[in-house]
Formats: sequence, structure tokens, C-alpha cells
Amino acid sequence: MKVTKKVIAAAITTAMVIAPAAGVQAEEETISLTVWGAEEDQTLLKELTDKFQEAFPDQKFDIQIGVESESTAKDTILTDVEAAADVYSFASDQLTDLVNAGALMNLEEVGEALSVAGRSLDDVKNDNVEASVEAASVDGSLYAFPRAGDNGYFLYYDSSVLTEEDVASWDSLLAAAEKAGKKVGMTFASGWYNASFFYGAGFTTGLNEDGTTAIDWNGTSPDGYTGVQVVQSMLNIAANPAFMAIADGDISNQLATGELCACVSGTWDAITAQGVYGDGYAATKLPTYTIGDEQVQQGSVAGYKFVGVNGFSENAGWATVLADFITSEESQQEFFNQRESGPTNKNIIDSEEVKANIAIAALAEQSAYSSVQMVGGKYWDPAQTLGELIAQGSVSADDEAAIQETLDTLVEGVTAPVE
Amino acid sequence: MEKKERGTALLAVKGFFAVIAGFFADFGRAVSEGDAFVKLSLLWMGAGYFKRKQYIKALLMTILEAAAIIFTVKFAMSYVPKFGTLGTVQMEKVFNMKTMKSEFNDYDNSFTILLFSLFSFVVWFAFLIVWMRNVIHVYELQKMAEKGKHIPTFLEDLRAYKEEKFHITLLTLPVLGIAIFTFIPILLLILVAFTNYDQNHMPPNSLFTWVGFDNFMSLFGGGGLTVTFGYAFIRVLGWTLVWAFFATITTYIGGILLSLLLNSKNTRMPKLWRTLFIVTIAVPQFVSLLLVRNFFSNGGIVNTICSNIGLTGFLRDIGLVSTSYIPFLSAPGWAHVMIILINIWIGVPYQMLIATGVLMNLPSDQLESARVDGASKFQIFRKITMPYLLFVTGPALVTDFVKNINNFNVIYLLTENVYTTTNQAMANSQAKEVDLLVTWLFRLTQDYYNYKMASAIGIVVFVICAVFTLIAFNRMIKGDREGTYQ
Repeated sequence: MKVTKKVIAAAITTAMVIAPAAGVQAEEETISLTVWGAEEDQTLLKELTDKFQEAFPDQKFDIQIGVESESTAKDTILTDVEAAADVYSFASDQLTDLVNAGALMNLEEVGEALSVAGRSLDDVKNDNVEASVEAASVDGSLYAFPRAGDNGYFLYYDSSVLTEEDVASWDSLLAAAEKAGKKVGMTFASGWYNASFFYGAGFTTGLNEDGTTAIDWNGTSPDGYTGVQVVQSMLNIAANPAFMAIADGDISNQLATGELCACVSGTWDAITAQGVYGDGYAATKLPTYTIGDEQVQQGSVAGYKFVGVNGFSENAGWATVLADFITSEESQQEFFNQRESGPTNKNIIDSEEVKANIAIAALAEQSAYSSVQMVGGKYWDPAQTLGELIAQGSVSADDEAAIQETLDTLVEGVTAPVE
Repeated sequence: MEKKERGTALLAVKGFFAVIAGFFADFGRAVSEGDAFVKLSLLWMGAGYFKRKQYIKALLMTILEAAAIIFTVKFAMSYVPKFGTLGTVQMEKVFNMKTMKSEFNDYDNSFTILLFSLFSFVVWFAFLIVWMRNVIHVYELQKMAEKGKHIPTFLEDLRAYKEEKFHITLLTLPVLGIAIFTFIPILLLILVAFTNYDQNHMPPNSLFTWVGFDNFMSLFGGGGLTVTFGYAFIRVLGWTLVWAFFATITTYIGGILLSLLLNSKNTRMPKLWRTLFIVTIAVPQFVSLLLVRNFFSNGGIVNTICSNIGLTGFLRDIGLVSTSYIPFLSAPGWAHVMIILINIWIGVPYQMLIATGVLMNLPSDQLESARVDGASKFQIFRKITMPYLLFVTGPALVTDFVKNINNFNVIYLLTENVYTTTNQAMANSQAKEVDLLVTWLFRLTQDYYNYKMASAIGIVVFVICAVFTLIAFNRMIKGDREGTYQ
């Protein structure tokens, strides 16, 4: 009896010793991975995945690259999560919906897979700027790798018309623009843009456990401003004859007409702005705006591009290693060199060449005042309507009760239960 | 005459039920009066044929029965038992560091369960009919044998499908197509309206389940959702009906007037003009509509012209607009009128083509005699042309109305990204004043994954369209309206 037991024990021990070796043997099989990225990034992604395969010569891969724009990734992926790519890029505002649908792997669960590449999840968190890691996390767990930090907005202006002092505040900006017979453009009818005034005054949005949105804009912010005051300031800006409220997505068209001497937009309009302003092309952080007799720095939404691992990916381990590779310091450098994509990696952000890029430098300047926008799906339509009401001047700046009621209705709509 | 029509409708319904009743009666008679082999056919579908020496048929029937049993055991049984709950096993996974793979449990997918259960029900229903039909048929064979008639061989049976039963051969594929591509999706849509399939219950990550009539309750303001949902629904429904009415009437009248103009003897080069109008059809709608949308946008070319010639300033002075631009497509009222106007431009050529065709076939003898009697042109139009046109194109008018209720293209392409509602109650339900039920439904599914409400709205749209079509057709297509028109 005893002998048999010993034999069994020995067998088990041997098995345990051999098992890792067996695991290595199992790696002989080809790992199939699909990667989705933006159309303009395809060549670069091919280069990066080739490098990735060279980095792991012992493992056979079959990596397919598909086209899926970061801005529409969520729609395609949620149509059939199980059939979607193992690794995909997406814009940061889609994170919550993707996590809710199980379309993103909780990286804390697969983090140890990175040890294959001699890295850990903590390395990822330390390499990238804190705000980007925070934006990629839900309830303290990291769900995606930050790749680019250029999905935010700031102020483009024509330095041949406006001086640096002019662009410091909305009041001086609008006054100077009026004097020059030009206009200043910004999108008000979008919850992504108009939140900047509220965030600047200390208001917040957040996500509750049940997926509903928390919003405090109808009250008083920790900074001591009321939502009514913020709306009044926005109404005053909108009523200024030198201000032009621009429909969402229409900024590049308006910029191209040459009527604007300054506008609030992001890096995607850099080439247009450069063409229109020529030698006067300049960019900086957003201006301050007036509440009562105080100047408040306008906030902004920090938007990122992430690379995530599909929660239904079978080869989750290697997919995680690949996603980390695509977002590593070297890869982000390539993205900056080839695609002028603003990095999230701390080392690259501090490099001289990034600082020399006017748009990305302005974005970095604004990032001190930007916050991550945590909102659910119910936020967008009511917030857009609020912006349109203000842009059209449908409420009077003097009628505080009406403004309060508008904000109460907004909060009611935004906080409605998700169905 | 009225009585007779109501009679036909009733007769049709009666006839339908009579056929079903007859089928069951035949089946009952076959089971009770059939011999042992007919009764055995209830269990072994080939039995009756076997007895009558139709071995190939017996074999085919046996294979079919076996296939149905295998389908039931191997496929249907893994979904149908979960149909009542739509699944209970939540997805769970663990990451195995050794294999670098995620290991999943055998989780339920509510949507697959719903779809494949439904598919199984349809297959079973079809099989049930074949099974009953089979018993009836072998009983017929038994009677033929008793009377000493010739029992057709397999080849003779096959030949029948080329000759007297050719309609069955012809219709098999289309019927199958309708069942798979139309019938099952519609049933699926109806079933989804009774579940809580939405953003919080998205398979495969989470399960959804049955909720009864909750979605319809909240659609009609029964609480549960935001209080504004019912309000938004009524507003959207109202505009949908107004739009469908005006879009149909304006293009219809416009098309007739245009074709009368082109058909007039005084018009020079009618073919050139007709071609020019048809060019608007040749350009894909989404191209022309997106262009027109940009022309009329707040910063578009039309607005620039209007402000340059001082029209914008004038309208502001008289208080029609409060903004620095004319909100052609971005304010309620303005947008509503503009959409109908733009639709006239898009829709009139189609109606013109139809009306031209009808006008060319206008009975010339009647026109002649009217002219001889000294009727004026307007009298001829009012008493002959118009009644004739209405008679011929009446049914098309009904279909147009229904089509316009679901006219997604025009509304969506003209207002998406341009129109922002300033009605907060509408915004809180993700609706806009210019939304039709279909465009609202599209946004609810596409942007908010609210499949259950979209299904409920879809059913309501279907009911509205069906009721309208039934009433309109019953009134318009009366058996011999030609008599009344003459």
C-alpha cells in the first residue's frame, strides 16, 4: 500500500515538474490573433505586429489586421462580441459601454501574462501619464492600454490677429475678435465640449454602480459656483456678436472659410488650422471665463485612444502581450513619428520633439485643467440640448429661475435609469 | 354592394378556418377509420407506404422522421428547455497562465436560446403538419387500394410534381425563403418586445429574460422608464402621421400637375423636361440629400446668400428668427416645413412617371365626347382625368402613405447631426421633434442598444400601418369601382 502511495506521489511530483515543460510544448501551436485599428494606422500596425513576432521567435503566430475606426469600434464590437477582434483600438468615451458588455478583459486578471515579455501591469501604469491610466480604469481595475492622448480640445488662434494676452480670457478674446471683424468659434451643442465650462467651475460627472450617471450641475460646486452662474456665463459668451456657435463636427468647414480668428478644437484640425492661419498658426490652452467678477479657467475633457483585449478572446494571454507591445514606449514613438499621434507615455511627452509640435504642446498645456469624462449613455442627448438652448439664447441670462429649471430637467434626464 | 364586399372579407376568414377544420377532420377520420398500417404511421411514418409497396416513399419518410428526431435531440433540446427562462448560467471565465488562454464555463446566451428555440418551434410546426398530412395521405392510399385503384409508383408521383402539382414545386423555395428570412425575424422581433433585452442585459455577457407587457406599459406612459418616454412617443407619432399625410399628398398632386404640364400640347420638348426631372432619381438619394442638408445647414451656402442679400436681417426684424442664421433644418417648424418641401423635390419625379403612364392611357373616347359637349378644360380635368387617375393610382397612394410612415432616408439624412432639439423633455428620451418612429427606433437600437423598446415601437408601427392599409384598401379597392367611376 505504502509503496503504491509513494509511487503515486512521485508520479504527481514528476507531473508537476514536467507540466510547465508540457506547457511550453503546448505553445508550439499557432496562436491566432486578430487586431483592429484605424484605416490610416494599418501600415504601422503591420510593422508593429511584425516586430512583435520577431520579439517572440519561439512562438508561432497568425496575426490578422482589420480596419475599424476608433470612433465606431464600440458599435461594431457590440454587434457580436464573440466574433470581434482579440485586440482593438477605441476612443476612451466608449470604455464604460464596452466594459458593461464584457467586451474588455479586466487586465488585472491577465496581467501576469505580461511576464512573458518581462513586464508587469505596474510598468504600464508607471509608464503612462496618471490621467490616462485613470481614464482606462473602472473601479480601480485597468481595462485597456493607453496609446494616445490627443483626443482632447484646446484653442487654435491666428497670432497675426490675436496676441497672447488676448487669448487668455474669453472677454479679451471676443473683444479683440470683434475689433478685427472676425469670430471665435466653439461647439456648444455637444456634451463633450460644453462640459468644459462646468468642469472648470468644479462640477463633476460620474458613473454609479448600476450604470446610471451622477451629475451635480444643478447645484453648487465645491469651488462655490452655482450651475446657474456657469450657464449665465455661457449665455453671455453666446450672445457676444463675435462668437459663433458651431454644430458638432462642422468646425473644420467653418475654419476653412477664414471667418474664424480662433476656435476650440483638437489635433484632428491641426492641418486645416495650419493651412488657414499660415505663419500666424498658434495654439494654446483654453481661455478663462468670467463668473461674477472672477476669472475661472475653462476645463476640458481629456480623451484618449486605448488598445483593449476582447473579454471573449480565447488567447487572452498573448492578446494582452500584443496589446501592451502596440502601446509600448517604442510603439508610441512610432505613432508620433508616423502619425503625429500625441503620446501618453511620460518619456515621450517630455521629449523635445513633442514639445515642438504646436497642437500637441497646447493639448499638454490644457491637460493640467482637463478631466476624464465619466458618463453613461443617457448623458449625451440632454447635454447636447442644453448647449443648443444656450447657443440659441433660448433662456434669458437674467431669468435665474428658468435657468435653474433647465438644469433640473437636464439632471433628471441624465440621471434616468439605464434601460 | 357594400354588403357583398363585407361578405367577401368575411368569406375569406371563414374559408381559412374551414380549411383548418377540414384538415383536422380528415386527420381524425384517417386515424379512426384507417387500418393497422395507417395507425402505425402515427409512430413510423413510412408504415403506410410500406404496406402499399411504395418503398422509396417509405424510406424517405423514415429518413425525414429520423432527421426530425435527431434535430430534436441534438439541436432543439439544448435550447428549447431554457426557453422559459432564456438561460440561467451567467458567463464566467478564468485565465490560465500556463496555456495563456481564457477558460470559459458553458454559459447561456439568451439571444441564441431565443432564436434557436423559435427556429425549433417553426421546424416542429412544419413537421407536425407533414406528420398529420402523411397519415391522411396513407389513409387515401388505403381507400384507393380498397377500391382496387392503381397505386402510383414513385416515378409517377414525381411526374405529378411536374404536371398537375407543378404549383407546389414552384412555390416550395419562395415559401421556404419567406419562412426563414421574413417569418422567423418578425416573430423574433415580437418576442424581444416582451423581454428586457437592453444595454444592461446584453448577451453573451449577461442574460435577459421575459418581462411580459412591461415595455408596452412604459411606452404608453405607465411608468418604469423616464416619465418623458410616453410624451416623446405621442409627439413623434403625431409628427409621423402629419409627415406621412403631407409627404404623400404633396408629391402626389405635384406629380400629377407636372405630368399634366408635360403632357400638354403647348409644352415644347416634353422629353427633354421629363429626362431632366428623372435625373433627380438617377442620383442616389443619400448623395443628393446630404448635399441639400449641407446647403441648408446653419453655416451653409443658402444661409450665406440669405444673410448677404439681407433676408436674414429682415426675418430677424419681423421676429421670425432669433438667431444670426435662418434655422432651415435646425428649429422645429422651420425644419418640418423644409423637410416636406425637400421631399417634394425628391418625390415628385416618381409620381410624375406614374401619372404620365396613366394619362397616356386615358380613354380618348370620353375626352372626345366631353369636348364635343363643350366641357371646359377644367371640367374635363375635374370630371374625367382626376377620377380616372384616382381610380388607377388609389392603391399606390395607400402604399405611399405607409412607405412615408417608414421613410427613413429623407428624415435621417436631412436631420442627423444638424438638428438639435431644444425640447428637454424630448432630449431626455433621446427623441427629436423631427423624428419619425423609425428614425427614433433606429437611434434607440444603434446608439442606446435599447432593443426591447425598439421592438415594442416596431410592433406599434406595424399595427398602425396594418390597420391603416386594411381600412384604406377596403374602402378604395371595391370590386367594381370602374362602374361607379364611369
